[in-house]
Amino acid sequence: MLALTQPQFDIASRDGAPVLRVSGDWTVQTIGTLDETMRPLRDFGGAKPNAVDVHDLGDLDTAGAYIIERILAPDASGQFEIIGEHRAAARLLVEVTKHAKDCGLPVVQRSALTLVLDRVGRGITDVVHETTETVSFLGETVLACGRAIVNPTRVRWLPTFAVAESAGLNAVPIVMTLSFFIGAVIAFMGQTILSDFGASIFTVELVGFAVLREFGVLITAIILAGRSDSAFTAQIGSMKMTQEIDAMRILGLDPIDMLVVPRVIALLVMFPILTFLAMVAGIAGGGLVIVSLMDLSPTLFLSRLQQNVGVDQFWAGMAKAPAFAFVIAIIGCRQGLTVGNDVISLGKNTTASVVQALFMVIILEAVFALIYMELGI
Amino acid sequence: MSPSEALTPILDVPEEELAVRLRGVANRFGAVTIHENLDLDILRGETVGIVGGSGTGKSVLLRAIIGLRRPSEGTVRVLGHDVWEESDVGRKELDARWGVMFQDGALFSNLTVRENVLVPLREHTDLPPKLILEIADLKIMMAGLPPDTALKLPSELSGGMRKRAALARALALDPDILFLDEPTAGLDPITAGRFDELVNELKETLGLTIYLITHDLDTLRDACDRVAALADGKVAAIGPLDYVRENATGWLAEYFSGPRGRAALG
Repeated sequence: MLALTQPQFDIASRDGAPVLRVSGDWTVQTIGTLDETMRPLRDFGGAKPNAVDVHDLGDLDTAGAYIIERILAPDASGQFEIIGEHRAAARLLVEVTKHAKDCGLPVVQRSALTLVLDRVGRGITDVVHETTETVSFLGETVLACGRAIVNPTRVRWLPTFAVAESAGLNAVPIVMTLSFFIGAVIAFMGQTILSDFGASIFTVELVGFAVLREFGVLITAIILAGRSDSAFTAQIGSMKMTQEIDAMRILGLDPIDMLVVPRVIALLVMFPILTFLAMVAGIAGGGLVIVSLMDLSPTLFLSRLQQNVGVDQFWAGMAKAPAFAFVIAIIGCRQGLTVGNDVISLGKNTTASVVQALFMVIILEAVFALIYMELGI
Repeated sequence: MSPSEALTPILDVPEEELAVRLRGVANRFGAVTIHENLDLDILRGETVGIVGGSGTGKSVLLRAIIGLRRPSEGTVRVLGHDVWEESDVGRKELDARWGVMFQDGALFSNLTVRENVLVPLREHTDLPPKLILEIADLKIMMAGLPPDTALKLPSELSGGMRKRAALARALALDPDILFLDEPTAGLDPITAGRFDELVNELKETLGLTIYLITHDLDTLRDACDRVAALADGKVAAIGPLDYVRENATGWLAEYFSGPRGRAALG
């Protein structure tokens, strides 16, 4: 590209009328320095020049034409006089004049207080709206699941198995690994603290209670909330964006039957299995630490576990699994179905789905704790 | 030589007069060859319409020209600079000298229309903030959009308005050459016709070179100086619409002589 020369201008007088003289290159790359000096001239009103001298004008583009036009005053017929020859000046100035009057629309400014109140208000209505929508979606899904139970041939088994594989089977290694380490950490900490009281043998009960009742199911829930919910939302959300969901509706297929029910069924089946595996891995992790640190034989560890913890605790943990599975599946699907037509809402809903699922899992966990306390389990 | 008379892909003119110069370009995807030994010259200031059946590589060729997909062989020069030669010092300047309007607009969905147009202006110029806003609005207006569009998000616009907004962004830096990928696809005939007028008007006032991929026969007739037809991996025919139409064979003959072709061209 040829080197551009700095644009320059002055206002000369011709027969008493002002004439704008421009020279140099007036392009988007060069005019930056001139804006400040030229801006005040815009408000000259009647004293604005009606004529522009382009004898020494180099390159000109629309941006350059725009700031020249800004300080010219068109005559009654909306024209200016162009003095001298230039290959582009006349048509660019005319073109720019046609469009320039609406430029620089002010950005609407509101006070900080209004903005804060606005946000708070929106936040509150959003929460209310979100809650009612989720509950009504829950109802729809329960109905659809009811129909599926009454008539199992309605269920789309192929996608159900596909989801069971990707969300369930493929999560086995990570669920088991994490539970194993959590079990080991509990045993390690319990042993350290309880040995101060000379009660380190109770580490066995600690591991049993903690893993069976709480951690097995909770670790599974947390991993599935992060792993499967984001996947559900992204899958269904991108189908929504490409109008696949609309196409289903038009073809007489209920998206809830097609997309939600398979995921709910798959999670309802896979979640307890994963929970069971998590419990096994957690006990194994805890057992390994106890056996190696405390000189306790594996047989003794298992029999003490059986006597003092019992199968009740296993069922207390397992009973939570279907509830967690249902909540996780529903939140992921609902967030997917509410994705709008833009990329931002896909990202927003994916985040929301993981956050909501984790939130609900913890809340449910608390509810179960209260129920078990009342029942005395 | 006047552009409207040139009937060969290779023109015998000095390079300064060329906006695009392709030599021996080949594009391959694994074993599939899309282009082989393709030559094409586009003069500065002319509008060339690129036509071709599905799979003839119109978009692949565009991506090779604008530096998005390296061709398997050959040289691509735009405005005198080699697009694929990193050591070419003028290569960087090209980003500020071409404008591209993608098929679906490719507007940034998290930015308003005005902010979309501001992106290239902010990146490539150092204008004061106030002036930059005014110039962005000017471009939006020149693309034929009402002023209040500036503050809307792309998702709030209709398809035709999105195309105009994309055009405004492509024009932000007053490019020397404009690449339009199916600018009228998906628009109703009236809106498409207005878009053709707009392109013509902008070309007249801004002196643009336009590389235009289209299937729209009306656009070929109303907005293009020359038509280049892609077939068998190269430019099979090039010249004014009437010439290409009279000498059309194969897919191209069917394209021009089909009911749609006859309706549009008479």
